[in-house]
Amino acid sequence: MDTLLKYIRRNVKVKVTLLLAPPLIFLAIWFYAPFMIVGLYSFDMINIYREITFTPSLTHYSKVLSWTGAAGIFLRSLYFAGVTVALCLLIGYPVAYYISFKVKKYKDLFIILFIIPFWVSFLLRTYAMMSILDERSIFNTILVSIGLINSPIKIMYTDAAVILVMVYDYLVMMVLPLYANLEKLDKSLLEAASTLGADPVKTFLKVTLPLSMPGIMAGFLLVFIPSVGEFVIPELVGGPNNYMVGNIIYEIFMGARHWWTGSALSMLFIAFILSLVIVYVRRVGERGLAI
Amino acid sequence: MSEIYSVELIDVLKRFGNVVAVDHVNLKIRENEFFSLLGPSGCGKTTTLRIIAGLEEPDEGIVKLYGEDVTDVPTHKRNIGMVFQHLALFPHMNVFDNIAFGLKMRKTPKEEIKRKVKEALEIVKLEGLENRRVNQLSGGQQQRVALARALVIEPEVLLLDEPLGALDLKIRQHMMVELKNIQRRVKTTFIYVTHDQTEAMTMSDRIAIMKDGRIQQIGTPLEIYYRPSNTFVASFIGEAVNLIIGEIGENNVMNTSLGTVYCPEQSIKGKAAVMVRPEMLEIGENLSQVDNLFKGIVQAAIFKGSYIEYRVDVQGTIFIVHKHGIDGMEKFYTPGTLVEIGWKKNSSLTIPV
Repeated sequence: MDTLLKYIRRNVKVKVTLLLAPPLIFLAIWFYAPFMIVGLYSFDMINIYREITFTPSLTHYSKVLSWTGAAGIFLRSLYFAGVTVALCLLIGYPVAYYISFKVKKYKDLFIILFIIPFWVSFLLRTYAMMSILDERSIFNTILVSIGLINSPIKIMYTDAAVILVMVYDYLVMMVLPLYANLEKLDKSLLEAASTLGADPVKTFLKVTLPLSMPGIMAGFLLVFIPSVGEFVIPELVGGPNNYMVGNIIYEIFMGARHWWTGSALSMLFIAFILSLVIVYVRRVGERGLAI
Repeated sequence: MSEIYSVELIDVLKRFGNVVAVDHVNLKIRENEFFSLLGPSGCGKTTTLRIIAGLEEPDEGIVKLYGEDVTDVPTHKRNIGMVFQHLALFPHMNVFDNIAFGLKMRKTPKEEIKRKVKEALEIVKLEGLENRRVNQLSGGQQQRVALARALVIEPEVLLLDEPLGALDLKIRQHMMVELKNIQRRVKTTFIYVTHDQTEAMTMSDRIAIMKDGRIQQIGTPLEIYYRPSNTFVASFIGEAVNLIIGEIGENNVMNTSLGTVYCPEQSIKGKAAVMVRPEMLEIGENLSQVDNLFKGIVQAAIFKGSYIEYRVDVQGTIFIVHKHGIDGMEKFYTPGTLVEIGWKKNSSLTIPV
């Protein structure tokens, strides 16, 4: 026993393997294996009896690609995710900036206040938003009764509702990496800029903003990736015209029960998003990461 | 006609909470002067510099640059340059863009920016490194970039906040000489903050010694070393100092616990300290030609290269003696040796306490 422990302690490779084994086993069972099954389905390598066949074909891919509605759904998903990211950045940057630069004491308290709503389950938050957005919600009732508006505002089941709820749900993913980034920023750089004649606006544009690119990039990815694949929010607060790719995939799997087409669509969508992310990281990332 | 000073602080006071960081500071810094603010950490020297830069607002008092009241002028509108303690080079820019930053802010034409950056790089001896990223430079080179960036905008005053602190000894010594040369060449007022007296002594025309937010003395390095105005300055400046406290009576004679000490002509009267620098003390077995003579026992002898430092115990009081020009082992007094130490009264100074 002692010699075995000694052997492990002295051998770096064994040590690393042992440390990595639990997460790797977990991921293998719950992520890599299911992902491979989806891949096998998409290439028609699993038949209806759930047996693996070794006759790959691209029929399901060509079916998906020949479907004219696919492009529209992809674009709508991109549009929703893009607007969500943009709004999260517009709202999140000033928040992170304010907490990092202007709050002197109790920074942690501000961050905790910001995080607390996100302790509540994602689904619960979405349902809570539904009760606010509803035509018969207390807000609409109050606004109508005091005469501020004539008829209730109709937001539910529109694009606006989907985006609003996505922004609300994912905002924290933008604020936290930005805050972490701005906290690290050496404040004497801003003082240096001012001694060189830069007013506060120029200092922000030439120093703070470029140096916060890594934070913006992290926030972008953390908001963009889950929101582009979002399906719960459009399902709950969107109408039939606000469907995103996630909803279609869900419909094909659970409604039409055609796992092959669903898998092919999933694989295509993953490839699409992955290539976008790679291009993005290449273009914005290298500069950001080099710092 | 009053003289125009490049920087003038009038009764400047700055509090941080209950702490008075800068306490009624008055400074008049001349044009093209190399002026140092020297003091132990927490003495208010950096805060004073930041007030001149406009990075801190004084609670009371007036800041003038070339006679003009700039107390309420924001930093970016004051024509100053600053080299920060940790340099604060922009990590997302290369050497050229770092140095050109201030010129771009002043909307200098492109060709002129190129020419001026090139000149600045020549002054700091970094020609040809325009396209390097700042993190590819050594500490000394980064130092030069920071200096070039602050100088290229041709500021009325250049403020330096312990800029050599992060460098190792050899480069630091080299940069001290270089900084002084650059200052002579560009003819700009340099205000230099440091806790290192060697830096201040080497480069400065005048030094202000600060302690607890107050200025203790302003003077040339020689004045501060040989004519300290109080015992703090006397013991802060120089490697070591011997201070004997006593009461000066008639005829410049001081009564101390060690006996009578003869003080220089026209010394102050009453309670005072007499200061003797270690190199002014003689050590031997049979001293003559000294006004004050004491017998003591060598407690420690430390060979320091160009001199030997002796610690001599005279009736419980330790005297530090620096013996220069030693020519052989026969004059090396080992610990335990009975010796005489002494000094001429004109080599000492009396300071009020």
